[in-house]
Amino acid sequence: MTSINSCHRFATYIDRFYNGQSLVPDSPDNVKEVVGILDSYGYVLDAYQKNLQHIADREFLTVFPFFKYFNNRVSFNQLIEHLSHDRINYEYAEYCMKVMLWHGGGKLEQYIESSEFRALIEPAIQAKIRGNPMIRLLHRLFPEFLPEQVRQSVYYNALGQFWEVMSDIFLTLARAYEQGKVTNIPEVVDWIKAGLVAAAGNPITYAVEIDGRSYDILPKSAELTFLMDVAVPYVEAIFFRGTPFLGVVSYNAQAHQIPVPQADFTYGALYADALPIGGAGIPPTLLMQDMRHYIPPYLHEMYQNTKRQEDDLLVKICQSFQKSMYCVTSATILGLAPHPLDSQDPREKSANMAYFEGWMDRLLTSQLPNIQG
Amino acid sequence: MLSILLIVPLLGAVLAACLPTKQTREFTLWIAVAVIGWTVLLLTKFDLSNPSMQFVENINWIDALGLSYRLGVDGLSLPLVALNSLLTWMAIYSSDEKIDRSRLYYSLILLLNAAVTGVFLAQDFLLFFISYELELIPLYLLIAIWGGQKRAYAATKFLIYTALSGALILAAFLGLAWFGGSSSFTYDPALAHALPLSQQFLLLGALLLGFGIKMPLFPFHTWLPDAHVEASTPISVLLAGVLLKLATYGILRFCVGLFPEAWQIAAPWISVWAIVSVLYGALMAIAQTDMKKMVAYSSVSHMGYILLAAAANTALSFSAAMIQMVSHGLISATLFLLVGVVYKKTKTRDIKILEGLLNPERGMPVIGSLMVLGVMASAGIPGMVGFVAEFLIFRSSFPVFPVQTLLCMLGTGLTSVYYLLLINRAFFGRLSAPVQNLESVTWRECYPAIILTVAIVLFGIQPGWITRWSEPTILATLRPPAIVATMNTSIEP
Repeated sequence: MTSINSCHRFATYIDRFYNGQSLVPDSPDNVKEVVGILDSYGYVLDAYQKNLQHIADREFLTVFPFFKYFNNRVSFNQLIEHLSHDRINYEYAEYCMKVMLWHGGGKLEQYIESSEFRALIEPAIQAKIRGNPMIRLLHRLFPEFLPEQVRQSVYYNALGQFWEVMSDIFLTLARAYEQGKVTNIPEVVDWIKAGLVAAAGNPITYAVEIDGRSYDILPKSAELTFLMDVAVPYVEAIFFRGTPFLGVVSYNAQAHQIPVPQADFTYGALYADALPIGGAGIPPTLLMQDMRHYIPPYLHEMYQNTKRQEDDLLVKICQSFQKSMYCVTSATILGLAPHPLDSQDPREKSANMAYFEGWMDRLLTSQLPNIQG
Repeated sequence: MLSILLIVPLLGAVLAACLPTKQTREFTLWIAVAVIGWTVLLLTKFDLSNPSMQFVENINWIDALGLSYRLGVDGLSLPLVALNSLLTWMAIYSSDEKIDRSRLYYSLILLLNAAVTGVFLAQDFLLFFISYELELIPLYLLIAIWGGQKRAYAATKFLIYTALSGALILAAFLGLAWFGGSSSFTYDPALAHALPLSQQFLLLGALLLGFGIKMPLFPFHTWLPDAHVEASTPISVLLAGVLLKLATYGILRFCVGLFPEAWQIAAPWISVWAIVSVLYGALMAIAQTDMKKMVAYSSVSHMGYILLAAAANTALSFSAAMIQMVSHGLISATLFLLVGVVYKKTKTRDIKILEGLLNPERGMPVIGSLMVLGVMASAGIPGMVGFVAEFLIFRSSFPVFPVQTLLCMLGTGLTSVYYLLLINRAFFGRLSAPVQNLESVTWRECYPAIILTVAIVLFGIQPGWITRWSEPTILATLRPPAIVATMNTSIEP
């Protein structure tokens, strides 16, 4: 079955899936660009996930976590580096965590809203606020405040676990590319898909240690898994929906990109306009700033060979990053397809087509056509 | 001492024509630096309290024609000489390093510099005319050879108009000598003052028409937008920055200086002419989509202010006219330089195509920022020399011609309109698709405009650095004595 059977405006992209391709056209330059940017993204994600897990574990219910970005290395030099912005923008990781918390999705959201979760976290809360009358009073007066903080910690931890896996996938992909094991875009997509599938069933668990005792927050019995309860909600929240926090606003009024029906307003990374305009429409700039430190030499060389060289490095990174995210999206779409693509069963074929068209509907206003060049 | 300002660029022009092509640019830049250096020396030696001509040089040249090589500089001409020296260097610096026929190109620029300086320094009518006409040749060639697609048309039109301007000025000078019974062409206001009023009107009319074409004033302006659009950026800089000032200088020096009585009588009508030029230029600028044409029409409009100030004929208005001449020279040169960079990078000046050039990553943010400052200065925003010039013009003209001044003030509002249109369309918003892959602007390309912008702000904060040179001369130029007495009153704090 091919897109001949589809009248969708993006049928050509559906066709690509059936031809073993992806949303990103296959070319040596695209492979270099996508792998190079994922290499740098891998390093950044590794730093992000370490910090997220640090906050989830060590700053659990800390009311004023002044040094949460310091990863337990508080020193004068560290403070100077932090204040002079000579550091990784961990804020961006937090924005992503908040986007996930905001949009929810998967069994994870259901679980943290359940009474079971509420009952599970109360001992941890009591252990944490023991000996702190102010916070005990706060908890008595506003019983939803600290549980909400714990739910946030859950997302710190879950996103940290997700990015730990993704970071590894991207870094190993880059090494495989350097060794000549990955040479085209379909192989990149397959690599990511294989990584996701391999980790799909990994349990998502979370426990905190307070006064030498471990408290389960997300127990294994909750049966939360990597792919369906974290990865898919992540793609939904970050790639498609986003949130109007600083650093991820994709649309701007000056460029007449804000749709009149507010419900159509999408902020996700796949929709971000790489060109910043004035103070509005800022793409995920913080992430770009972090990635530029880890650009591999071959990608630098590629950028240097453009008309503007690296004067517009952040825009170039953003565009490359979007391409790579379309590879990840391709992997996700292919990985979640309801039936094998070579199925001959008419009902399965029809279900697959409906599935792909559903994705394409969502991508109609995205940057997908702009990354084809 | 003044001859150096003529000899150095003339000699430089000859040598530049003989040097190997690779060295021409650097050599002419050094010549321009030398001219600037000598101008600075003149500025330091200039006696600010002396209203008469200084550093006078007088050599009889062709007795039979009554032509003498008589040079001098006073407060009216010195700032313009300095402006010419500075902008010549800017023009050479901002020229394309790989320009074709570079030896001829740079020679012509130096020749143009010498001719323009000659106009400002000449104290002999015939020498003034010769310099005035001599300047046409290099400028014609610079447009005709290195111009745009319609360069031949624009250059020829420029030549016809300005040659006609020269012919009218020559006729006036000959008439002055003939009516006054003089055998020489030495600049002598007393000769003109003695003429009957009818003859003064006749000669004033010829001069005004001649300079009006060159300035240019409506309806003789049509050569200017064409010349600007077709000329390369450095030539536009010289054209707007200095060449137009030959006419305003001529009006102040000759029309008002020689025929004060006739001028006083004609002044109300001249002020009406100024209104028409100001408003017509501004309205035409609003209608333009070519950035360069917009700046060109803006020149037509802004030169009208100088005519208004000249018509008001007070010491303050003369000072205002002087500031406006320098101000317009700096601002228009800046704007043309910036438009030139935009064109070089985008290959278009059409504000319907350009958009979002202020983009910090992919656009030209420094050029855009300078452009914003430039148009603010042109629109008379306080803190910049354009404000001082326009405010003083309106302040000094209002007591004399209140209605005309108010109408001219509309021009300032209209300036904001067309320049905001330009900025809003070309620089704000999202980068339009045709200009998303631009080459970076180098700092080297920004330096000339940065230097001029600094001058625009400095003179805006301290306009006295311009007026101090010309005040004594202005007091002496405005005659009869009754007017001088009025001026003394108005100039005192």
